[in-house]
Amino acid sequence: MERVISSGDAQPYWYDRHSPDYRDNVQEITRELQAKCPVAWSESYGGHWVVSGALEIFDVARRSEVLSNDHDALGERRGYQGVSIPANMDRLRGGFLEMDPPEQRHYRQVLNPYLSPAAVNRWVPFVREVTRAALDERIESGRIDFVDDLANIVPAVFTLAMMGLPLRDWAVYCEPAHASAYTHPESSDMARIVEQMRANQARLAAAITEIRENPRPGMINALVTATINGAVPGDEEIKGVLALIIGGGFDTTTALTAHSLEWLSEHRGQRARLIKERDSLLDGATEEFLRFYSPVSGGGRTFSSDCEIGGVRFREGERLWLSWSMANRDPRMFPEPDEINLSRKGIRHAGFGLGIHRCIGSNMARMAFKQMVSAIMDRMPDFACDKAGAVHYDTIGVINGMKQLPATFTPGPRVGAGLNETLRQLQKTCDEQRLAGPVTAGPVQQ
Amino acid sequence: MKVRVQADKCQGHTICAMQAPEIFTLSDYDGHSEAIAGEVPAGLEARVSDAVRSCPEQAIIIIPDDEPDSDSPEES
Repeated sequence: MERVISSGDAQPYWYDRHSPDYRDNVQEITRELQAKCPVAWSESYGGHWVVSGALEIFDVARRSEVLSNDHDALGERRGYQGVSIPANMDRLRGGFLEMDPPEQRHYRQVLNPYLSPAAVNRWVPFVREVTRAALDERIESGRIDFVDDLANIVPAVFTLAMMGLPLRDWAVYCEPAHASAYTHPESSDMARIVEQMRANQARLAAAITEIRENPRPGMINALVTATINGAVPGDEEIKGVLALIIGGGFDTTTALTAHSLEWLSEHRGQRARLIKERDSLLDGATEEFLRFYSPVSGGGRTFSSDCEIGGVRFREGERLWLSWSMANRDPRMFPEPDEINLSRKGIRHAGFGLGIHRCIGSNMARMAFKQMVSAIMDRMPDFACDKAGAVHYDTIGVINGMKQLPATFTPGPRVGAGLNETLRQLQKTCDEQRLAGPVTAGPVQQ
Repeated sequence: MKVRVQADKCQGHTICAMQAPEIFTLSDYDGHSEAIAGEVPAGLEARVSDAVRSCPEQAIIIIPDDEPDSDSPEES
């Protein structure tokens, strides 16, 4: 019989997910953890379990009856710390990602008809137009920074449009969303970023009030008119949901796009193949990039009761890190896990998480990514990223992303208006055609 | 062969519909998947098998021709 281990007698494994050392050695750390203890006890950040094996994460992550996402920011329940390890400095609860059912389910039921594949497909012309305008800003120069000039812009504008916020505000929300992802949680700079985020929270609070008084379509309207577990949610709770939508919608797709473009620049043969066989390869290639780069590296949980899973005994209150990024490199699930194979079969990846908290914006992410990559393949097919100028995040404990990715390409002609003019036009279209409404009425809440 | 998506396990990852759109349809409301009721048309079996293998939640089950389409759960 397999030996049952618990936190007291597990051989502790020291690693610090937020350190630069982790970023530099992640492949070796992943291999060692998976070989020795796919469910390990780490002493870092007050002690927590780390699940790195693909099979183990599948067994544990879906056990929502014994796992809690709750972030009890105000100390009203059991004091659980939500999905960040270490706990988020900001005392705002991170929306329904830091809730358990039934509230979590009710919020998703409210937002699903804005984020389903059918809902997202309606936005293809919009995203194509934002992408076109962003590329037009650079196309004549032959130089672009794929992060600053494209991958930061498109997801941000798209997310604000779906929320019902002014498109021109994208940069105000983008800077802190981007910076908070790559700054070490215990760094002194974090306080400044948290300040910026607080300013944005005040901005969001004003939008909540405004939309409540003068309804306009979008996810904010859905939230201010929602009933959650029999009650109307308060502004603080809605602000947390909006922060979650921005945090989830902005930097993640940016990270995926930047890394994928960097890889395509370094693998010219594979890029030529993707351009030639785009119709049959792009869907699978997108899943493979999601697996390989796992923009959201993982998620924290708290055990809500004592339990035993796969020979490991967990106690109520113990923290757990589900490492999607490590599970996605498990050789037992993915042969040659550290290679990108654009036509890989059976990509059972956990890049969007597993279980009831599956990334609710997954369809947005895929669509925006495919539109950006397709437009680059059409208009800048010979792009060459500048290795010396590429800047990866110092720490990848939250998001595995890039700060800068400069590239050169053969210049081409502009085909339309610049970004600001395009955003003005698109804002008019959003307002007049009420684009940000739900795709369908949802089912009765249950 | 027939194929079925277990509604209690599907979380709307949508990978099945990318691999075999003829077989799996996604709900407009939440993207959760449903499989066609009848036999999987000849020639699509391999793609259906890929979809089964790729499902992150392992929510899709294949019902062989010689078994009735019961609702027996996969796990106890």
